[in-house]
Amino acid sequence: MQTVGRTRTHFLIRAWTVFVVLAIYLPIACGALAGLSKGRYFAFPVRIFSTEWWGKTLDSFEIHVLVQNSVLIALIVTVLSVLFAFFGALAFARYPWKGRRAFQRLLLLPIFFPQPVLGLALLLWFNALGISPSWKTAVVAHLVWIVPVVTLVIAIQVFSFDPVLEEAASDLGASRLFTLRTVTLPILWPGIWSGALFAFLLSWGNFPLSLYTAGADSTIPKWLYSKMVAGYTPMVPALGTMSTLTAAALLLGGGLIRLLIRRRAELRAREG
Amino acid sequence: MSSVAASSLSDSSAAPKTPRPVLQLVDVRKVFDGFAAVDGISLDIEEGEFVTIVGPSGSGKTTLLRMLAGLESPSGGYITLRGELINDVPSNRRPTCLVFQSLALFPHMTVGDNIEFPLRVRKMAPEERRRRALELMAKVRLPEDYYAKNVMLCSGGEKQRVALARAFAYDPDVLFFDEPLSALDYKLKKLLEKELKDLHRESGKTFVYITHSLEEAMVMSDRIGVMRAGKVVQIGTPEQIYSTPADRFVAEFFGEVNVVPIRRTEGGWLRRDGKPVAVAPGLSIDGDEASVVIRPEYMRFVTEEAGADNTLSGTIFNEYSLGSRLQYQIRSRTGRTFLVEVPRAAAWKGDGEVTIGWDAANAIVVGG
Amino acid sequence: MADGSLSAPAPKLTPGFRASLPVLFLLVAGFLAPLVTVAAYAFATPKSFDVFRSFTLQNFAAIFDPQNTVWTSFAWALALAFCCVAILLIVCYPIAFGLNKVFGKWSGLVSVLFVFPLFVSENVRLYGWVLFFIKNGVLDGALKWFGFSGGPELLYTPGITLFGMVYVYLPFMLFPMTLGIAMIPRDLVDAARDLGAGRMMIWREVELPLAMPGILIGALLTFVLAAGAVAEAKILGGQSVITITQDIEVAFTYAQNWPLGSALALILVLIVSGLALAAMARLDLDKILGKR
Repeated sequence: MQTVGRTRTHFLIRAWTVFVVLAIYLPIACGALAGLSKGRYFAFPVRIFSTEWWGKTLDSFEIHVLVQNSVLIALIVTVLSVLFAFFGALAFARYPWKGRRAFQRLLLLPIFFPQPVLGLALLLWFNALGISPSWKTAVVAHLVWIVPVVTLVIAIQVFSFDPVLEEAASDLGASRLFTLRTVTLPILWPGIWSGALFAFLLSWGNFPLSLYTAGADSTIPKWLYSKMVAGYTPMVPALGTMSTLTAAALLLGGGLIRLLIRRRAELRAREG
Repeated sequence: MSSVAASSLSDSSAAPKTPRPVLQLVDVRKVFDGFAAVDGISLDIEEGEFVTIVGPSGSGKTTLLRMLAGLESPSGGYITLRGELINDVPSNRRPTCLVFQSLALFPHMTVGDNIEFPLRVRKMAPEERRRRALELMAKVRLPEDYYAKNVMLCSGGEKQRVALARAFAYDPDVLFFDEPLSALDYKLKKLLEKELKDLHRESGKTFVYITHSLEEAMVMSDRIGVMRAGKVVQIGTPEQIYSTPADRFVAEFFGEVNVVPIRRTEGGWLRRDGKPVAVAPGLSIDGDEASVVIRPEYMRFVTEEAGADNTLSGTIFNEYSLGSRLQYQIRSRTGRTFLVEVPRAAAWKGDGEVTIGWDAANAIVVGG
Repeated sequence: MADGSLSAPAPKLTPGFRASLPVLFLLVAGFLAPLVTVAAYAFATPKSFDVFRSFTLQNFAAIFDPQNTVWTSFAWALALAFCCVAILLIVCYPIAFGLNKVFGKWSGLVSVLFVFPLFVSENVRLYGWVLFFIKNGVLDGALKWFGFSGGPELLYTPGITLFGMVYVYLPFMLFPMTLGIAMIPRDLVDAARDLGAGRMMIWREVELPLAMPGILIGALLTFVLAAGAVAEAKILGGQSVITITQDIEVAFTYAQNWPLGSALALILVLIVSGLALAAMARLDLDKILGKR
């Protein structure tokens, strides 16, 4: 009897999950639909499909600048946040030290903080320092909340890393650098890779921080917002869809690379 | 040289005599936040010796080993290797190697890569490295085709051998072992103990091994040091430690024993029940409290034909089979439990009310 | 606060402290310093930029003036955040349970499906809902196509704002909750069943208390984020609801009254960080993240 009840519960859980997943992707699908319809104003059902607005979006110089800004910011944020977060994760998870618990809590605070408020606070701070906002200040703003996220991602990997391995390497004569290169980094690599992916994607899609801290420089989400509030064109859903697809491609590509590396390692192991 | 170290040296009658110890510890201590994990240890370890340090968990034996391997630096005292002070020499500059309790095999490397790691550190050429790794694998009895195997897919015993081969690849003067066999099942453990002993003999290297298992220590060691609360309470050959424990702690640590507390009076030593105790002549104990320690195999059933120097009566309440031997638990009149171990052929045939006893020559009297 | 023990002088630089320095520098310069600036501005003369040169409580007086209706923004923000958390608890629990115990080898894929939206800017996703609910949009158009008289007027209401929040913050509830449920040792549930406990009792007495740290983090995270939300109210809610963050934004931008905006922000930050710190003080992060 219990198993019957359990199967039914499991069925309901599965059905509910499918429903929620569909709901999550519904608006993204609506956006894709709007970007591909020919009319200036969106109406459902779509009468004529066309790639006209996609073409216009791809040709627009204004949008090229946006994409450049977004990519540039995301790349710099990725490199810097992985550097910061690698050491941050060691402090978070690897070493037992006196201030560790306080450090762990401080690190979480930016994540537990409304981003629009953080953006406005940073705007004030930059102003107080006499720095005029631009894409560079947006990089700093992104770092403030992306570094903690990436630190957590890498820290999860560090938690499963046995520090005895480093001691063993040292005991076998390896220098610190050699140990880092041959033992620590290869084992933490999956976490670092995920962290880098997270950093790029979170920066790429960030809106509230860019809105207040990028000054006159615009990013894709910022531009989309300005057009949503005033001056809808089908380029808005078109660009939104492109941005989403880019993120999806990156996530998929990143996952595939990881999978390939693991497969290769497994294959090598099985040959032995 | 300190007199403490000199006196410990005189105990090492079974160790090969060489002019100078390879590893020398003088009053080594390690303090963590005011707590002395290692509290003044002096010890000489001879070239080619197999020394085992035993002690319960928390006795400081792992800390001691980590200092010897260079993974902790001592808070006081001196550690010298072939006469050179190595207190603050980092582990990667010491010609010593530790086999960790967890083995610390690199999970992202193959068996071959693991063994070659110390050779890569030395920038040995790849072909040369491979040749040496295969040589070592043969030495620890690992099949050649394991060279490219993922180390995480190896069994417990195989991992053990990889760790050993890796340590040997480093070609250390002294090898340290931190209970590497503790996670294995009994049979495999016995096999590896023998192999380790063989390897020790063949290589002629100095081994320092720590464990909390008496059995492991007895099987493999030339000398055994017993640690308690950061101090070495006794060091000697397995035979010495077993037959003449320095105190009750050592006696109890080395297996099941019967303990009879005794008290000095003007009329000689008395048991708690007031009966006099026959002790071996020439006993010298400081203080008025002592314990008689009798191993279960020296305790026997007393009958009219076969008497004993000391006797007490009680009731059998349990009987265990130890394979070829039988062990009886006997509760005395005073409520203490005694163990009597006899060959299966000499099983007790009488009823539950028994008299047991021991001879003074088979008992050890220790202080406290 | 957290930095109390951090600023205590470290006599020698332990490896852990040294490793924390880059992040510590970033957080001090990019997080704590801006907050201090906000706090300083909150006490500056209204509508001026005299930060650190004037000290007045006028901004707070203005906020707490009964004539001022800014409290409604606070009330809306906190009420919406509270409802959002309550709804998400119910929406996410079955999914989090499923990720741990039901989906098996599919749970990796399901997790990715829930993570991915985090990488799409929230305004893009919210705008998708506008296209769904708008007149002649997907819902309205589809209903008309089927012969109905058209979809309900849902857009630009407080309800849809709440819906948008639930939608945007769902992953922030789901993942901590999933981690929390993963912390329940299987043995304990089996033991409880073996001792004769029914399903409800196991859930109430064993599963829920053990999963609580994760659930608490999820609830806290979503509450804090929802309390500071602004995009949902603007894009979906069509300003039918003014949240506190929007008031702050207006004070900073159109009104050019930085001191007032800072005072509002300071109050919000105090509410939010008070909650966050109180809850975090009870959690052992090593245990939650490091399943060693």
